[in-house]
Amino acid sequence: MEELQDSSIHHTTAKVITAIKNTKCYEPIYKELQRLVASPGVDKNDMRNTLEDAIKAAGLETEIRNMIYNLVRSRLKKLEVGDVRQTTKSAQSDPLGYLKRAGVLWDRRVRKSLNAMCGELKVPLHGQPRISTDREDFVAKWNELSNYNMDLANYRPVYAPKDLLEVLLSLKGPTRPNENSDQIPQWEFSHIALPVKNLFELRTHYADLLRGDPYSVPDLAVQCQRILDSRHAPMCQQYLKKGCTPAPYRGALWASVLGSKLHDYDIENWQKLRNSVWTTDHIVDKLVFKDIQLTASNDDQYFVFEDVLYQVLLCFSRDTEIANCVEYESFPVKGKTYEGPPSGVVPFHGICMFAAPFCYLYDSPVCLYYTFRAFYIRYCHRLTTINTHPQGIVSLCLLFEKLLQTYEPQLWSHFRELQIQPLRVVFKWLMRGFSGHLPPDQLLVLWDLILGFDSLEILPLFAIIILSFRKESIMQVASLDSIEAILADLSSIKVLPLVQLALSRD
Amino acid sequence: MQGHVRIYSGGGGGDAALLYYGCAGPVGDWTQRIASLQPTIDQSVATMYGRLPGTGNGAVSGGVGAGALGDRVKIGFCTDLDKSVLVNNFEKRGWHQVNGDDDWHFYWAGVQTCRNIFSVDSGYRMHDTQMINHFPNHYELSRKDLLVKNIKRYRKDLERDGNPLAEKTESNNSSGTRYLYLDFVPTTFVLPADYNMFVEEYRKFPLSTWIMKPCGKSQGAGIFLINKLSKLKKWSREAKGPFHPQIAKESYVISRYIDNPLLIGGKKFDLRLYVLVTSFRPLKAYLFKQGFCRFCTVKYDTSVTELDNMYVHLTNVSVQKHGGEYNTLHGGKWSVQNLALYLEGTRGKEVTDRLFGAISWLIVHSLRAVAPVMASDRHCFECYGYDIIIDNALKPWLVEVNASPSLTSTTVNDRILKYKLIDNILSVVLPPDGIPDVRWCKIPSADALGNFELLIDEELAAHDEAQNSNNNNNNSSSHTKSSKLSSRWK
Repeated sequence: MEELQDSSIHHTTAKVITAIKNTKCYEPIYKELQRLVASPGVDKNDMRNTLEDAIKAAGLETEIRNMIYNLVRSRLKKLEVGDVRQTTKSAQSDPLGYLKRAGVLWDRRVRKSLNAMCGELKVPLHGQPRISTDREDFVAKWNELSNYNMDLANYRPVYAPKDLLEVLLSLKGPTRPNENSDQIPQWEFSHIALPVKNLFELRTHYADLLRGDPYSVPDLAVQCQRILDSRHAPMCQQYLKKGCTPAPYRGALWASVLGSKLHDYDIENWQKLRNSVWTTDHIVDKLVFKDIQLTASNDDQYFVFEDVLYQVLLCFSRDTEIANCVEYESFPVKGKTYEGPPSGVVPFHGICMFAAPFCYLYDSPVCLYYTFRAFYIRYCHRLTTINTHPQGIVSLCLLFEKLLQTYEPQLWSHFRELQIQPLRVVFKWLMRGFSGHLPPDQLLVLWDLILGFDSLEILPLFAIIILSFRKESIMQVASLDSIEAILADLSSIKVLPLVQLALSRD
Repeated sequence: MQGHVRIYSGGGGGDAALLYYGCAGPVGDWTQRIASLQPTIDQSVATMYGRLPGTGNGAVSGGVGAGALGDRVKIGFCTDLDKSVLVNNFEKRGWHQVNGDDDWHFYWAGVQTCRNIFSVDSGYRMHDTQMINHFPNHYELSRKDLLVKNIKRYRKDLERDGNPLAEKTESNNSSGTRYLYLDFVPTTFVLPADYNMFVEEYRKFPLSTWIMKPCGKSQGAGIFLINKLSKLKKWSREAKGPFHPQIAKESYVISRYIDNPLLIGGKKFDLRLYVLVTSFRPLKAYLFKQGFCRFCTVKYDTSVTELDNMYVHLTNVSVQKHGGEYNTLHGGKWSVQNLALYLEGTRGKEVTDRLFGAISWLIVHSLRAVAPVMASDRHCFECYGYDIIIDNALKPWLVEVNASPSLTSTTVNDRILKYKLIDNILSVVLPPDGIPDVRWCKIPSADALGNFELLIDEELAAHDEAQNSNNNNNNSSSHTKSSKLSSRWK
């Protein structure tokens, strides 16, 4: 047994080492290490100890630790999943095969409509070089793209939350044959065989939120500064679990947890992306402009950041690293495949709201970009694709339904009597991670918890909490419009006490 | 409830808010526990939807009502402004509308009416149970030339008395000194009276830009920028000509233009804050916590070609509204809470706190500057609209004060905010029984403050001081702090 464990550690180590060698930070770290080896403090007779000391003294150890922490959290998992996939080829016998198939089809459908839009408007999907006058204009207005004029009348968002919702609601599994449809309401998710947590398990997962701080530190800011000074990513993550991050430290904490602190090569890369936007005219640019104009520009919390958002999302659309990092469902489905934009992400109605809250954290678009990108790769993309991930939108919807059924049976039956799918009411919250729905100060607390507990499960839980909180009012109305009206204004909602309350409820 | 929906007839968000509130039946288990967890929720809910109405109107019962306003007194209100945020608030309290000639208790008057009521000729004498929303000579604060005059005098008086507040320091510019603590209005001269003084100052800083404003106008009318003395001379010549007889008579103020404003998203903005004064001697003032930033629709640009583009320089909604870029959903308005969140996140807490402390400081001292000349009539209260510009060193500058800030709502949120503002004003200025009475001590309870925060109450401060000196050993005085200049008003 021990031997097995031992070899698995070796196995993991080998994988981590390979992964590190493939990252961009490898080269600078390697160079730094070479420099240390040659430093006078390192004695060739006691290489091991003296070099280790030098590495620690130079702060390189923390950097390497953080790098491994981030790799283990994200990329390694992906590698493992890949391995599993290769071994279990029998797609037909996969009970979740239909779900994966739906995921592939959804992605294909979205790309297909982007391609169709290109065809209609007679523009190439790969983009075309900007004509020189346009390019000059674009570069000159880079810092004020709200003044860049173009005709967007023929462009419309490729899809909106409700499109994804319709697809989700029509998911049919093998365990749910049509003839049984009289017995099960048409719109329940419960038939989907994905494992989701119950309240007890959630309570365990979020236990830190209920725990009073035993070393109650009088000054949160001092404690926070000390943690940041230590530069340990796991400690930063732990700190976010409190849900009361002081605003001035949030930006640094998030960057630390997401491993998105700026390096020189990041800045270079940003400039490359920017140049790519300047030189080529891509259909996704128009979609980005359209989306910002439809959402953030009209939002009284975010409109002041309009110009920053143009820059960030335009560069985002050109970033091919995103396509490499995001895991898509793979399932053998016949039919034509379609190409997507360079980033692999087809802009949809409201995509800029994923980036907007970061404007309250960072002044510089570059810092904003990398933390937003990391957050998108780790969390947001799961909200807009159909996948079997435990934090994918399907699992979150299922979690929502099960929690509602179990803990708010009255509301559940109220919805059922009215023949309203409860999911319809909350889906836009889930898909946007509440961005644009909660006021920014509260939204950032909610996202602190996403990062701290490394889970999107807080979203359905919080949706339930809001329904619960406004239950009395919902019970008195009988139409979808009235229910939506009751839930439209979340400006008085305070995240932390409500979540704590829900978790501590007996 | 029906009586209420009308208030927010403007749009979705507001309706929803009310609907939610209106339907809230018996307070559930959840709500109570939440309240115990964090009292602010309870408060924010209450203030969000306004204070609970009293009986009548078929409205929700319970909570903090306008209450004891019994059957004995029927309160008559009168208003010169037919604004729904006013009338709905009055009616919610069960008041009925009367004419100015009738027996009114509460008058929301325009400045003209106010002048008539207080003029000696009218012979009108107000009763103890009457209140009006202006001080007789509010223009000491709201007229651009008088404000500057009063502040200059206030500084001189303090200086003469050797008050440490009037301490001066070497200016970082080439010449002269500036006040260390009271330097919160840009250098300003009244034209034509101070023309020579202006020219002298201009010559010291020939590269600076100046802004000309007519003293008596508002909402950005008649304002222009000057960066050359010749332009001013040309204007003055033209003004004296036969075509503009009205300009010749009018006096102007010329102020150093804040050419390094703090930009957010590349755009210039100013702050509109609401300050309620219930008495000038002793000074009692409250700051409404929900002010907002008003953004220009166009990128800020100091180039000479843009000097005449007022959409770049003026943040007045009345100016910006006519720009092509004006957005009717948010109206270019961003909440002060969001500003604070952004500044804390990007600049740090210390500088943010310092900025908001400096803003409170500025307001208090502008009020102190006019307090000696103000007719502190006990029937009066006034809500001022303070316009403040923040420069890129995060120093606030007082631009002007309006005695009749706009109660027109440009967006749904604006309507909710202004409705709440009026509601909170009423609950601060009225005694606990809801009946206007000048004999009341004008010390509202903490609950009655709503979204107002006490800026200064000289009476309470004196009281505290007296108490402290009486029992200096017993310094466990739990009295509410009567003046908290450095506090944050989040």
